[in-house]
Amino acid sequence: MGVKGGLHTTGAKWFMIESQRHSYHLVDPSPWPISGSLGALATTVGGVMYMHSFQGGATLLSLGLIFLLYTMFVWWRDVLRESTLEGHHTKAVQLGPRYGSILFIVSEVMFLFAFFWASSHSSLAPTVEIGGIWPPKGIGVLDPWEIPLLNTPILPSSGAAVTWAHHAILAGKEKRAVYALVATVSLALVSTGFQGMEYYQAPSTISDSIYGSTFFLATGFHGFHVIIGTLFLIVCGIRQYLGHLTKKHHVGFEAAAWYWHFVDVVWLFPFVSIYWWGGI
Amino acid sequence: MASAAARSGLRSLAARAKATAAPAARRRMSSSAHDDAHETAKWEKITYAGIVTCTLLAAYNLSKGHPHFDEPPAYPYLHIRNKEFPWGPDGLFENKHH
Repeated sequence: MGVKGGLHTTGAKWFMIESQRHSYHLVDPSPWPISGSLGALATTVGGVMYMHSFQGGATLLSLGLIFLLYTMFVWWRDVLRESTLEGHHTKAVQLGPRYGSILFIVSEVMFLFAFFWASSHSSLAPTVEIGGIWPPKGIGVLDPWEIPLLNTPILPSSGAAVTWAHHAILAGKEKRAVYALVATVSLALVSTGFQGMEYYQAPSTISDSIYGSTFFLATGFHGFHVIIGTLFLIVCGIRQYLGHLTKKHHVGFEAAAWYWHFVDVVWLFPFVSIYWWGGI
Repeated sequence: MASAAARSGLRSLAARAKATAAPAARRRMSSSAHDDAHETAKWEKITYAGIVTCTLLAAYNLSKGHPHFDEPPAYPYLHIRNKEFPWGPDGLFENKHH
């Protein structure tokens, strides 16, 4: 039922919560959906203007992205307040975020599958325009046994660290859980750093034939997902430090762990199919 | 990793079910916590082993120099430029075509 009284609790709201006869959470009106819509509109229009060299495009794009990020932050902040501080997330309510997280990850799988389809389509039957071979003639490829091989144990080690964090939370070991999340994030940052270093050393670019396009799209989006997962885990680490995550209720952390395991597993596919098979 | 995560998820669900179903909730809770403590220690060791492996592999990899590539011939499908990027002639990670 949440805390009775408090600085911002009105008598009417207290009465409403007390009189509730169901397990669900009837949310209060929120400004963030319209805020997110306006941010998306500004981002889209700003992006088009920027790509077409209209004056002010870069500014509008930047402001749109800032507004979108702000909306994400305050919206998730509100959800956190509703669940952790006000206690609205019963077992029934928790199913919503759980299903949402799983469906989001499934949609990401389909998203990334398209890149492997495009890459396989071009590499399995290379056209005569690029020399009839794969990689195309004149393309310098990265050695899969250098940095890519190095990233292959780093991400699974990070997955092991997040599993360590999960069990530490279940066992009620608060400090060990924070250390585990620090280890997880550190490994993620190392992995991202190596990927960035490799991009700067790469002999080809995104505009070097279909090879460059598919290579940088697949590895670039994986890298972007690593960054998103890292931010998610940083937020979980802060919340663990603040005491938000308990043995019984840590849905936000579970979503981050599911996402992180997904990102780890996905890395193996571009490593095998793009760096290894597609690069030699 | 995914199967390990699924297994640990299923185990935690099973432990939770036992805790709620069994009459001696306190004892089950204790054994569940003990099992989680054991799992925590196990995954901590696995994490440390992974970190050591990555460190050694990184040291080995970085001790070698990075490879150098010759400039390829000017094939029409390389360095395609129908129009410039909004920020200039080079892509995000390029500093080579000047």
